[in-house]
Amino acid sequence: MITQIIIDIIQYLFFIYSICAILSYLVLATISAIETIEYKHKNSFVNYKEIMSSTISPSISIIAPAYNESLNIVENVRSLLSNHYVNYDVIIINDGSKDDSLEKLITVYNLVPVDYLMNEQIVTQPLRKGIYKSTNPAFEKLIVVDKENGGKSDALNMGLNISNSKYVACIDVDCLLLEDSLQKMIKPFLEITDKKVIAAGGVIRISNSCIVKDGKLHDVNFPKKLIEQGQILEYIRAFLLGRMAWSRLNGLLVISGAFGLFDKKIAIQVGGYDKNTVGEDMELVVRMRGYMEEQNKKYKVAYIPDPLCWTEAPDNYKIFISQRNRWTRGTIETLKKHRKIGFNPKYKTLGVLSYPYWFFFERMAPVVEFVGILYFAILVISNKIRWDYAFSFIVLAYLFTVFFSLIALITEELTYHQYKKKGTGFRLLLIAFLEPLVNHPFILYAAIRGNIDYYFNKKKKWGEMTRKGMTKA
Amino acid sequence: MSIHQSLFNYINESSLIIQVTWIMSAFFMVVIIPLTFYFRYLRKHLRKQERTVALYEQKYESYLINYLYSGNEQEIISPEQQVIINQLKRSTSESYKRKILISVLIKLKNEISGEIAESIQTLYFHSGLMQYALNRLNHKKWYVIAKGIRELKQFHIKEAYDQVILHINHPRREVRKEMQLYMVSLFHFEGLKFLELLETPLSEWDQIQLLGVLERLESKNISNIKLWLRSNNKSVVFFALKLAKIYNQFECKEEIINLLNHINKKVRLESIQVLNYLDVIEAKEILKENIEKRTLEEQIAFFKMMENLYEKSDESFIINFIHSEVFEIKVSSLKILKILNKDKFTKLKVEFPDPDFLKIINFLENN
Repeated sequence: MITQIIIDIIQYLFFIYSICAILSYLVLATISAIETIEYKHKNSFVNYKEIMSSTISPSISIIAPAYNESLNIVENVRSLLSNHYVNYDVIIINDGSKDDSLEKLITVYNLVPVDYLMNEQIVTQPLRKGIYKSTNPAFEKLIVVDKENGGKSDALNMGLNISNSKYVACIDVDCLLLEDSLQKMIKPFLEITDKKVIAAGGVIRISNSCIVKDGKLHDVNFPKKLIEQGQILEYIRAFLLGRMAWSRLNGLLVISGAFGLFDKKIAIQVGGYDKNTVGEDMELVVRMRGYMEEQNKKYKVAYIPDPLCWTEAPDNYKIFISQRNRWTRGTIETLKKHRKIGFNPKYKTLGVLSYPYWFFFERMAPVVEFVGILYFAILVISNKIRWDYAFSFIVLAYLFTVFFSLIALITEELTYHQYKKKGTGFRLLLIAFLEPLVNHPFILYAAIRGNIDYYFNKKKKWGEMTRKGMTKA
Repeated sequence: MSIHQSLFNYINESSLIIQVTWIMSAFFMVVIIPLTFYFRYLRKHLRKQERTVALYEQKYESYLINYLYSGNEQEIISPEQQVIINQLKRSTSESYKRKILISVLIKLKNEISGEIAESIQTLYFHSGLMQYALNRLNHKKWYVIAKGIRELKQFHIKEAYDQVILHINHPRREVRKEMQLYMVSLFHFEGLKFLELLETPLSEWDQIQLLGVLERLESKNISNIKLWLRSNNKSVVFFALKLAKIYNQFECKEEIINLLNHINKKVRLESIQVLNYLDVIEAKEILKENIEKRTLEEQIAFFKMMENLYEKSDESFIINFIHSEVFEIKVSSLKILKILNKDKFTKLKVEFPDPDFLKIINFLENN
């Protein structure tokens, strides 16, 4: 009798959790649709060429940390230097690379060491060989900093110290930025007058199989491997249906480390990137938001749904698991570090909406799923399983995921329509049906490993990402 | 018992959780099927639409080229041109085709100039397209109004001034921005008079775009900006300060000096920067009197001004700030001291061996 009551309670808890998750996704998708329509209307007649030619547009520093990126560094820097924005510089932080990245940059870009007076507002690892600038006027926007290794956060902090600009775009060096990316990202900072925009994030798209010519995206292709296709779908879902809604609610907690624009003054005031987390991108945004709430200042974290930044995604399960493991640890670390914000009405939307959502449906989701699987296994072993109950749950979870993916794909077609080629439509549909089976189990595994590593393997930091480089035309 | 009946009985006899779960599953199943077909249809439709647009673009381009080459000097519109206008008029009644036609016209207008560009404008007027744009100005939806104003701006329809100015304080910033761009693009510096009526904020984005339009003008005869510097709308004051800087409005220095005591700290900061740019030495003396009561940003801007406007008599003042805790102020003070009194600057090396301080001294010595 007691066992049955316990089973019933557990079943109801799983049921309530699942319904809440489904409802939250549906609400977010609806809000996203409203925001996307509004965004498209707002930007349908904006001429970005006007702002890029203006010399009074505010200065932006692109900060790109590089560690052992010798294979692609020259091409990547060329791509960063080809942006159409007029008032910007590119700061490459060579974070103690053991390869010949620096030598390659020196040779190709005619770099020479320069005397540079730096205001060290954030403590970082010291310079190694120093700071370099080009003797060639064509590369006058380029600054290369060679420093002792200190990790990605430390390198970004060095960039914050070096930059003389009002805004900083922190990016991964291997990212391919579209030429008008900075104009689009800076727009909310300059346009919103009733709030201070402290940061803006853009959509990240997957560049695997895309063709790159002279550092520019030449041709968008849909990759052949299921793991890559699954990630494309996942990114479309997350960026078009998730973050768009959080942006409207002004509750965005994360700006992808691959490409984000920040108000430098606020980023420095809060102490820059945290060197003790692997989720430094999310952590900085949460800290900046917390700071603004504590100062009682009106602020916004903006979000640009245009596909502005293209990056290489893992193409094998080993690297994929390592990446997701790190994302999980980053989320846990950030939420734990800022637990005083959670469920705290003093922090308004951040405390009562964003944080609880992230806690229940991002941080706890894999744990609940894993516990559900364990519970299922125990019931099977003890012969107490209700097969119709288990089956109905599995079917619902699968159908909802497919439904949500289809909504994301339709949104993509109606808005940015990036995968135009004939035949891709069928493959997109196919992956919508297969993704819950081919990618999700690995994501779940990586998340559980992330939890285990977080609690029992504190030494684990960043995993390795072997770069192949984008396909050149 | 049929399968349908047994399924119904099973659902009826199941617990609430199972009932809800199956109902939701059925719902998603039913929705997924049409969504899948819709997705396929949508992709086909988008591809077809792209082809149709390209086709119409080609068709309209050829009409327009014929139109441009059928003109003569005796008549505003030649009979051949009238035939083409009549053909195009038929297309303008459908909004889809009208949209394509307008985009082709704009593309063509941007590529040509002189009499031919005027001819396009005549076509825009006589084909009835202008009336469609004017009708948009009374629409309920903000984006329709904004697009209407934009179109009138692109075709230089000055006659719409009275209807466009009505949107000066429209609740949507996008509409206001288009109104402002219309005024400045068509009426140049005279068009800036809307600033006197503006009650809503003029964002930095708007300001940059307006200045961009002004920069491209041949005439640089700027209107009197003094009134805008005294505006109650702080964003108008910001904009006027930018104009003062770009167009070297030295004659406005009294108004700008008055802004040093403006209630808004950003206005005060911007004023210091503009006064620095205009080399207004009186401002330096005014600021010196109460510099420590000002915000940190104002202090930093003031020391930047000092770097530009220093005098020998400033040495005793500057010396008080060479150990400032603010990096920028410390560097500026040392820079000025190096110029005013090199000996004293060099001695600092011995007097204050703090490594961070020495780093600055060494840098300034070499640069």
